[in-house]
Amino acid sequence: MAIDLHVFLVSIESDALNVVRHLTLTQLDMPITNFHLIEARRLLWEHPHIKGKKKEGNAARYVTRSQAIKILQVSLSDFRKLCIHKGVFPREPKKKVKGNHHTYYHLKDVMYILHDPLLEKHREIRAYKKKIKKAKAKKNDELAKLLISRAPSYKLDMVIRDRYPTFIDALRDLDDPLTMVHLFAMLPAIDRLKIEVKRIHNCRRLCHEWQAYISRTHKLRKVFVAVKGIYYQAEVDGQKITWLAPHARQQVLTDDIDFNVMLTFLEFYETLLGFVIFQLYHSINVKYPPILDPRLEALAADLYALSRYFDANYRTSVQELQFDGSSRLDQEQEESNIRLAQLQHQLPANEPGALMHLVQDASGEIEEDEATRDCKNLFRNKKFFLSREVPRESLLFVIPAFGGIVSWEGDGAPFSENDDSITHQIVDRPTQGHVYLSREYVQPQWVFDCVNARVILPTEPYMVGRDPPPHLSPFVDDEAEGYVPDYAKTIKQLQASVKSDVKPLPGMGNDDLDSSKILLAEGFINRTEAMEAAEKKRQMMLLEKQYHDELKRELQGVSSINKQNSENTESKEQSLPDVEPNPEDPSGLMMSRRKRGLAKAIEIGKQRKKDHVEKLKERKRNIEAAQKSEKKHKKTQLS
Amino acid sequence: MTPSLTMGHQESQNLDNINPLETRDEDFVERGENDALNDNNDQDEHSERSQSQQAIDESDSSEDEVAPRNTIGDVPLEWYKDEKHIGYDFAGRKITKKERRDKLDSFLASADDSKSWHKIYDEYNDEEVELTKEEIKHIRRLLKGKAPHAEFDPYAPYVDWFKWDDAKHPLSNAPEPKRRFIPSKWESKKVVEYVRAIRKGLIKFDQPKEEPRFYSLWGDDSSSADITKHLAYIPPPKPKLPGHEESYNPSLEYIPTQEEINSYQLMYEEDRPKFIPKRFTSFRSIPAYENAVKDSFERCLDLYLCPRVRKKRINIDPESLKPKLPNKKDLRPYPFACYLEYKGHQSAVLSISVEPSGQWIASGSKDGTVRIWEVESGRCLRVWEIGEAVQHVAWNPLPARPILAVSAGADVLILNTGFGNEEEQKEIKNLLHIGTPTSDDSDDMSSYLSWLQDEQHDCIRLRHYRTVSSVVWHRKGDYLSTLMPADILLAVLIHQLSKRLTQRLPFKLHGLPVSLAFHPTRSIFFVATKKNVRVYDMLKQKLIKKLETQLREVSSIAVHPAGDNVIVGSKEGKLRWFDMDLSSKPYQNLDCHRKDITNVAFHRSYPLFASCSDDDTAYVFHGMVYADLNENPRIVPLEILRGHTSSDGRGVLDCTFHPRQPWLFTAGADSTIKLYCH
Repeated sequence: MAIDLHVFLVSIESDALNVVRHLTLTQLDMPITNFHLIEARRLLWEHPHIKGKKKEGNAARYVTRSQAIKILQVSLSDFRKLCIHKGVFPREPKKKVKGNHHTYYHLKDVMYILHDPLLEKHREIRAYKKKIKKAKAKKNDELAKLLISRAPSYKLDMVIRDRYPTFIDALRDLDDPLTMVHLFAMLPAIDRLKIEVKRIHNCRRLCHEWQAYISRTHKLRKVFVAVKGIYYQAEVDGQKITWLAPHARQQVLTDDIDFNVMLTFLEFYETLLGFVIFQLYHSINVKYPPILDPRLEALAADLYALSRYFDANYRTSVQELQFDGSSRLDQEQEESNIRLAQLQHQLPANEPGALMHLVQDASGEIEEDEATRDCKNLFRNKKFFLSREVPRESLLFVIPAFGGIVSWEGDGAPFSENDDSITHQIVDRPTQGHVYLSREYVQPQWVFDCVNARVILPTEPYMVGRDPPPHLSPFVDDEAEGYVPDYAKTIKQLQASVKSDVKPLPGMGNDDLDSSKILLAEGFINRTEAMEAAEKKRQMMLLEKQYHDELKRELQGVSSINKQNSENTESKEQSLPDVEPNPEDPSGLMMSRRKRGLAKAIEIGKQRKKDHVEKLKERKRNIEAAQKSEKKHKKTQLS
Repeated sequence: MTPSLTMGHQESQNLDNINPLETRDEDFVERGENDALNDNNDQDEHSERSQSQQAIDESDSSEDEVAPRNTIGDVPLEWYKDEKHIGYDFAGRKITKKERRDKLDSFLASADDSKSWHKIYDEYNDEEVELTKEEIKHIRRLLKGKAPHAEFDPYAPYVDWFKWDDAKHPLSNAPEPKRRFIPSKWESKKVVEYVRAIRKGLIKFDQPKEEPRFYSLWGDDSSSADITKHLAYIPPPKPKLPGHEESYNPSLEYIPTQEEINSYQLMYEEDRPKFIPKRFTSFRSIPAYENAVKDSFERCLDLYLCPRVRKKRINIDPESLKPKLPNKKDLRPYPFACYLEYKGHQSAVLSISVEPSGQWIASGSKDGTVRIWEVESGRCLRVWEIGEAVQHVAWNPLPARPILAVSAGADVLILNTGFGNEEEQKEIKNLLHIGTPTSDDSDDMSSYLSWLQDEQHDCIRLRHYRTVSSVVWHRKGDYLSTLMPADILLAVLIHQLSKRLTQRLPFKLHGLPVSLAFHPTRSIFFVATKKNVRVYDMLKQKLIKKLETQLREVSSIAVHPAGDNVIVGSKEGKLRWFDMDLSSKPYQNLDCHRKDITNVAFHRSYPLFASCSDDDTAYVFHGMVYADLNENPRIVPLEILRGHTSSDGRGVLDCTFHPRQPWLFTAGADSTIKLYCH
């Protein structure tokens, strides 16, 4: 019988009886010793004749959950909590010694929990709860109250530091925390489920703080309105962070959910997010936690209040920098002043924030990458106004993130509806009564589509009362998927045309795209026609190009033609024998069975993908046929 | 006690007055005037107080005197609920109930009446009572929890009525109790408790300083990473990003039709799509997602309950999985294209055999004919009508002896083909001539087998007593071996043509024999039973080797011209290559066919071998055996030959290589023979 005490490096090689004796004598009052003592006793009792216990291999490396609990000497609920906080998860041993139906933890993971002060804290809390219970049972209310007021609590700071040694690591794992916090920000506080108002408020605050940072630093990249909620993707320090914010509706709560687990996760996530946001704010010289304008806070315009706070802080930090004083900064200041002067007449006079925008833009531009600059300038010089019925929260986050200025109907708004400089009003109702001619009325989807395409799309298809064009996911690589929806093609064309506008190329490259654009402007229904037209033009262009090439070649001389001829013959010779043998390749026979299975699986996967695409195409054909017949029907009716 | 609300003045006590409201109104006016007067004279407060005092005095005195109109006493009013009267007055007359106004009327009345807010309906007396200012004040004070009268002072200075200066006798003569001058024990205990608590730090007077909850946890430079000693952290897999179909407004083609949605119900639950795309035409019509909390919860469960394993993402090109084989072009020549078809048989061609010189090919068919074709032209040269389905044909391997062994039913015919020069013909005729039946030697063999002269075809007929499935020539052309799979004891017979002798195989076969083969150079004989291949040395008369095929049912066997390698085809479509020097286990498994392999063949000079099967295909492989013993044979699949069509579930029934050219002949159940050339 040999037992390896991993922790204390006490290795004893003797029979179980000796182990028992030894451990009892040494009286190491530690849980691990206890565990081994118990185990040794049990083994000795069950199999008095056995001689050895595994020192290595899966049996020694992995323990079942109940064994782990025995080692840690905590209750199951505490063990769960510890696992969640410490990020310990079961692992899959190669050989499941105790059977297939157990969950296995790596012994090192268990030791990792064992060495954490959090474990001791949990035990303490458990003991303390007993004290309170006892006091209450003895009707000693005074003592109970005193005890409750002094109840021990634990901090997760070092756990976070331990789990995420660098800040980047923390950013990498931020998807789940953000999704969870955004969800809880939408949940009602329920006493029965122990969801406290305080936590809901905290979640909402964290959401706003995060969004304010992302929006202010223009780090948002993609937005997708799905049935499940709104997906956002931001890029912070090179890490793509995607999170899901549910729609601002009453959430459905079902009974089959254990909120204890979720709340434990939330506890960790809140702390993690707090620290991450602190670090992020710290990196742009803004104090955390922010102090908000109580008036705006009361009006539930937290995000706007935060942006105001940012403005104020930015200004101070910029000024401080200027006081530090270097010629370079002065120069920048000059530049920004010039730009400020240039743009001042374009900007609304009643928008103090806009001026500050300019100042800070000038100072911050050096460190920005191209994507950020793109995002920042998308809605530049555009002023948005949200109508009453539009879901405010997401748009207030998205529009400033892409450089726009936004206001809404309600108290605390920066400007009102009758402001003349508003360029776009976002409306989500079947008809719009009073219309300002100076601005365009669009549905909210226009903003999200613009953001994903990084291009200002024509507003006609998104007008009030119309069914907007399909909203496409920016997370899909259409080429890899094998099927490109029509609207994706049109958007791509628009992007290309915008690019070519910026960098005008000689030749006839532009007008076809322009024509398609014009056609698109005529209406969304004519899209396919536009595509066809564009296709024709492109073919024409190709032919022309070929002709040009040939001309060029002729100019270069006859020798090249000869060469080409010889090349041609060569290629013919090469191609001839290639055609003859069967295209079927029987080399698959020589693969091992495992590899053949793999190849088969790959083949099946490809086939499935192909089937899916086929299905989509067929559906589309059906829809188009139905539309055509309907049109015809209408025409006949008219005639 | 009846709810007799104290009425302001004596006048209200007037019993004769039936309508008290009017009087009260008067009274109110009167008092208002009075107030006004008082205003002039005295200070407002004072006047009020005095008046109210007066009122109180009066009411105090009048409380008992004011009698209610009704005289029923303190009885439940329910008793009179259904009556027309509410009680009796002093004279004992019934007091009739007033008319009830309906709700609308009463509401309108109350809306019109500005004083309605201080009117109360007195149920006992069935009348509406208007509260006076005084009364309202009292009510307000009561509501606040104060004494009803403003001048009542709850904290009046204590007057000790039992003490006076010249009192002669004390009220109580008891001695002063001890507790009056001894410090309290319990108090001191409490103090001690508190002191202890303070010392222990249980009670703190100054609030603990609040530390900022968040601070720069990672420091300024994020590069300072501690290398953690515990196990590698496996980051959780990120949730799948949404595709086009999850959009609130997807393209129309992403939305399944109603029929498709209905068909989901027929699927297994795990196959059923979890998310069915829906289209909402406007932003405002998107509802809350019903599974939002559940999804999040499930994600939590996944995070802490699921075993995490680092898995390599399989992103391999399927081409890279294939083993590195030499280019097929380098392995030429090999047959890959059908060059000729030999047509003429009426039924499935069961067997073919090529003449050793490679000029002629013989074929035996189910229609009972044996034909000889010219290889180059495809011309049918000769036809023999055997009468029974021809199971097997085999040319004698000696070029000088152009005779053909044919098995049909229980007979084996040794036919003279008529090729060769005259000398050879003469020799052959001698060989094939049996003068008298030589059954004189009383061998036990005679009952099972007889050598007969066939007059019809001018040949030898070996009559077995069971069906013969195959005939194999020895390389020297004198011996031939026949196989009767139906028998166990006499399954394999070896006949000597020159001496017209027949021998039994002197070994015990374990299992039914399926196929036979002679060693190409040595006197070694291969017998394939259903499971194994047994290799016998005929000279030493003993078993040399047993090859374990690991197959369910062997169908055919072929020996490499060098003699050390054997291929075995099986009925489950598997091909096994045995390197006999290496081991008795297969060197290479080739699971190529989907149906039974009918035959396998080696080329005599080129490194080629082939297999044909009932799935209408024949495979051609490159099988190079090196003279160097250290090098393993190189096997490369080269080509799948198609062209035959199946009939009755049979496909290609036989295949043979041309003895000199890299050509392959295949015989199909579609009654054709095909020649594949390089």
